[in-house]
Amino acid sequence: MAEVIANGVRLHVQRLEPRGGASADSPIVVMVHGMVMDNISSFYFSLGTCLADAGCDVICYDLRGHGRSERTRGGYRLADSMADLAGLLDALGVDRPVHVVGNSYGATLALAFGLEFTARVASLTLIEPPFLIEGLGEEMARSLSQILVAMTDDEVEEWLDNGAGRAITKATRAAQRLLSDTTIATDMLATPAFSAEALAALPIPVLAVYGENSDIIGQAAGLAALVPECTLIVLEHHTHMVLREATGYLRDLLRWWLFDRRTPPPPYVRPTERRFVTPEWVTQMVPPPDLNTGRRPAVG
Amino acid sequence: MSVQETAGPGGAGRAETETRVLGEVTEDLREVIGEEYVIDMDITMETTFSQDLELESIEFVALADRLRERYGEAVDFVGFLARMDVDQVINMRVGEVVQFIVDSLPAPATAGSA
Repeated sequence: MAEVIANGVRLHVQRLEPRGGASADSPIVVMVHGMVMDNISSFYFSLGTCLADAGCDVICYDLRGHGRSERTRGGYRLADSMADLAGLLDALGVDRPVHVVGNSYGATLALAFGLEFTARVASLTLIEPPFLIEGLGEEMARSLSQILVAMTDDEVEEWLDNGAGRAITKATRAAQRLLSDTTIATDMLATPAFSAEALAALPIPVLAVYGENSDIIGQAAGLAALVPECTLIVLEHHTHMVLREATGYLRDLLRWWLFDRRTPPPPYVRPTERRFVTPEWVTQMVPPPDLNTGRRPAVG
Repeated sequence: MSVQETAGPGGAGRAETETRVLGEVTEDLREVIGEEYVIDMDITMETTFSQDLELESIEFVALADRLRERYGEAVDFVGFLARMDVDQVINMRVGEVVQFIVDSLPAPATAGSA
């Protein structure tokens, strides 16, 4: 397993290259996954191998505390995450600007990294970034409390013990440990707001992708209005989970973004077989109502 | 099939290579999972990663990492995985990975020529 010490933390990294290896002019793409219930695998399988196969030099890694990276007690503020990423690029000897692709919190981190380390970034792809000028920390804490509620309820415990299966149970237990053993919750609440002035001066091209049915779709317009070079793509019939739901289109979109940006973006054909919506239990912050019904005897 | 297995380049050799590769993939799988339930499990070409092994997707990343290291340039795992999404990857049978590796490796030398 590839491990790198960056900013004093042991990070799990996977470098993916096209057959025969990347060349000196291959785009370097760094992928940053989401918070708590996520790890390196979401990008590895959705865009990582695909973009490497298309000719990119791809770096996927587990954020501090996630996946197979070291779970330190502290160091989960946005500034720490940025220092981890900068340290990772240093440790890997990356000395030219990279294309950063982030999902959810990873996209918010990518945008902050672009503002802080502008010379190190060639472009930003932000998939469903929580984005607010006011109250970003509270928004992060809100997302986190959604995850917390979904993991600490009695119904959920029963499901994990009996019906969830090994893979989901392992992932959930790891997330529970991250929340209980580290300062991530308070660190998230301390996320500073973005500066509108700094965003208005951002000299980096930004591709922003949201799902039309995402619970944070209301934040898309503000981002697109503030960032000068922003291409906003809103995918009909999709939610905050668009990376998983619309992997095929995002593969086409990223190939266009990295190799063919002078042409119009690839046409999006909304799925007819399924219309993804955000379930009410997500916005209401309660566990899914049918979690244990399959195993319990029917009532009445 | 029987002709292939008994004669010609890659015939008898292929079945042997397949057995060897299945053993290597099984060894890496056991190390990646690292739990008791998998030690005694009979892993065959038909074993599924999701249903039978209940593999986490990050464990498949670790498995691919080991296999990339083991087989090197000869086996293009990146290209193999690039054609699938995560559900297709995790729903594969062990045999599909083994077949891909065997197809990618240089044809084994026939007896006597080594």
